[in-house]
Amino acid sequence: MKQFSKTLLSIGTALAILGSAAAVQAETLKIALAGPATGPVAQYGDMQKIGVMAAIDDINKAGGVNGMQLEGVIYDDACDPKQAVAVANKIVNDGITHVVGHLCSSSTEPAADVYEEEGVLMITAASTSPSITEKGHQLVFRTIGLDSLQGSMAADYIANTVKPKTLAIIHDKQQYGEGLAQTVKDGLEAKGISAVMFEGVTPGDKDFSALIAKLKKESVDFVYYGGYHPELGLILRQSSEKNFSAQFMGPEGIVNADLAKIAGDATEGVLATAPKSFDQNPENKARVEAITAKGEDASGPFVFTAYAAVQVMGDAIKAVGDTDPVKLADYIRKNEFDTSIGKVTYDEKGDLTESTFLVYSLHKDGSKTPAPQ
Amino acid sequence: MSEASLYFLQQLINGLTIGSTYALIAIGYTMVYGIIGMINFAHGEIYMIGSYISFIVIAGLLGMGMVALPVILIIALVIAVFIASTYGWAVERVAYRPLRGSNRLIPLISAIGMSIFLQNYVVLAQGSRDVALAPQISGSWTFGDPQLFEVSLSYMQLIIWAVTLVCMTALTLFISRSRMGRACRACSEDQGMTNLLGIDTNRTIAMTFIIGAALAAVAGLLLGLYYGVVNPFVGFIAGLKAFTAAVLGGIGSIPGAMLGGLILGVTEALTSAYFPSEYKDVVSFGLLILILLFRPSGLLGKPEVEKV
Repeated sequence: MKQFSKTLLSIGTALAILGSAAAVQAETLKIALAGPATGPVAQYGDMQKIGVMAAIDDINKAGGVNGMQLEGVIYDDACDPKQAVAVANKIVNDGITHVVGHLCSSSTEPAADVYEEEGVLMITAASTSPSITEKGHQLVFRTIGLDSLQGSMAADYIANTVKPKTLAIIHDKQQYGEGLAQTVKDGLEAKGISAVMFEGVTPGDKDFSALIAKLKKESVDFVYYGGYHPELGLILRQSSEKNFSAQFMGPEGIVNADLAKIAGDATEGVLATAPKSFDQNPENKARVEAITAKGEDASGPFVFTAYAAVQVMGDAIKAVGDTDPVKLADYIRKNEFDTSIGKVTYDEKGDLTESTFLVYSLHKDGSKTPAPQ
Repeated sequence: MSEASLYFLQQLINGLTIGSTYALIAIGYTMVYGIIGMINFAHGEIYMIGSYISFIVIAGLLGMGMVALPVILIIALVIAVFIASTYGWAVERVAYRPLRGSNRLIPLISAIGMSIFLQNYVVLAQGSRDVALAPQISGSWTFGDPQLFEVSLSYMQLIIWAVTLVCMTALTLFISRSRMGRACRACSEDQGMTNLLGIDTNRTIAMTFIIGAALAAVAGLLLGLYYGVVNPFVGFIAGLKAFTAAVLGGIGSIPGAMLGGLILGVTEALTSAYFPSEYKDVVSFGLLILILLFRPSGLLGKPEVEKV
């Protein structure tokens, strides 16, 4: 509560400026949409925008929330942490108290600090870094699973479905890849499965022939790779050239059409944990059609997580009968929501209690289908 | 043969293949150093450009419906060697010649600048993502007991060995027999004196850069075909490894670059084979430090004697 006394002044100033805006807000509720509209990852910002705007349209058509129409206001942070803080302050100054965003974890993290301090409700639809929700923030939520959940999920799948005879774990010595590889190793060891090899490769290396000969010698029949697609692509390609045929599996970082370009036919059947394709859900059929009718693409990974973020906000406002972020946060934490990404419940930290990832089989044409369970 | 010796043989084959390509790139470093006593830091980028050009040519010819693979490869080789040599010549013309006679550090910096320029130029022209080429030469010989361990020697590995051997032999003959080779050797002994004797040293130095670039382009084509992937950053790592190979063998010595390349490649493969593979670079660079401690001029480097 200390933070409130600190921000009282600024809120007071904001109220004075927005005195007239309050009357308008009775009819429309502005929701800020923060993410990259420009810059190298702007296409992800587009996905978020498509999802949020579709959700707002649907809610408004159904009569809005508590008589209010929703309005999305776009703020561009270009996925730059410095600009994200500036955008967050601008949102606060504009008197908006409900935010969907930001997108890149590195932007979301500093922006979340601002929102928490200024009493703004934030739901990110795309940031997966665990540290965002580890600061004890009350007003920060997400509609996407954490990176770290992929590891334990992969371990479960390997132990329960694949049941390999000889298992090796390879990683790229980076935070993301080695971290996931370690989680998989720990998860499997807890189930009594140990890997014959746990080794790192150097990102940027092109020659993996020595590693492959070693895997072959150990008669490995299953390899988990923690890392990104360029190295795994080469490992797959060189494995098939050297007649080494094991089942490979990797995290979301390998799910990229470039993997099939590098590895060619060797991509067929590779397993990967990746965010669920919500646009394939039968419940979202009408929503996909509405988005496609506008000439937009509904298949991006963040479209339906963004859609769900607006749904969670809207449902909470309806149920609470108020737009106060603190009351909404309290309600969100304690209740279940029926959204475009399925039933959603939250833990104390503001994370989803259920993973939004699924195990997929990758194909040589760059597509993916859910893996056999 | 037992399983252990078959496995050792396989890793030796892998190591010799990597080593051959290190050696091809290392020649460019060692020749330039032998003649002007400077390191050409843009050399790795020339290799990368050679790789890109051969990719573009191969993809283009395949796209035009050409099917005769040897013809495609020869056309790609000729074009890649020609364009990469032009780049090598331009690097010398832009970053070295105007600075000839100045402090040694200055061309070093201009070469680093050239390297950054070329890398970013390719990023802008071709994008920073991996470009892949479908396998063109597949198939391999396998031998050994399938129950124990099957050694595979791919045709591509054989081609790499053969091409490297041909290039090295041709280069050795060129340096020891031809007029231009004699001029190169003379330049490395004493540039001023060579000039006085009526040999165009500028032309000789430019020729050195061109030969180095041509060999780098050959390596670019071979490795591009072998790995099937190229991105604008491959030049940096390949250049670093080749430079290490050149220093290991004795910088300035052509047989030294060949030996250094092979030793580095085999060390890397054998380290990956018998230790966790993340120790690969630790062991090979540790070896470099050891060799330089006991033989500061590298394995075959003889300071003050013939340097090219």
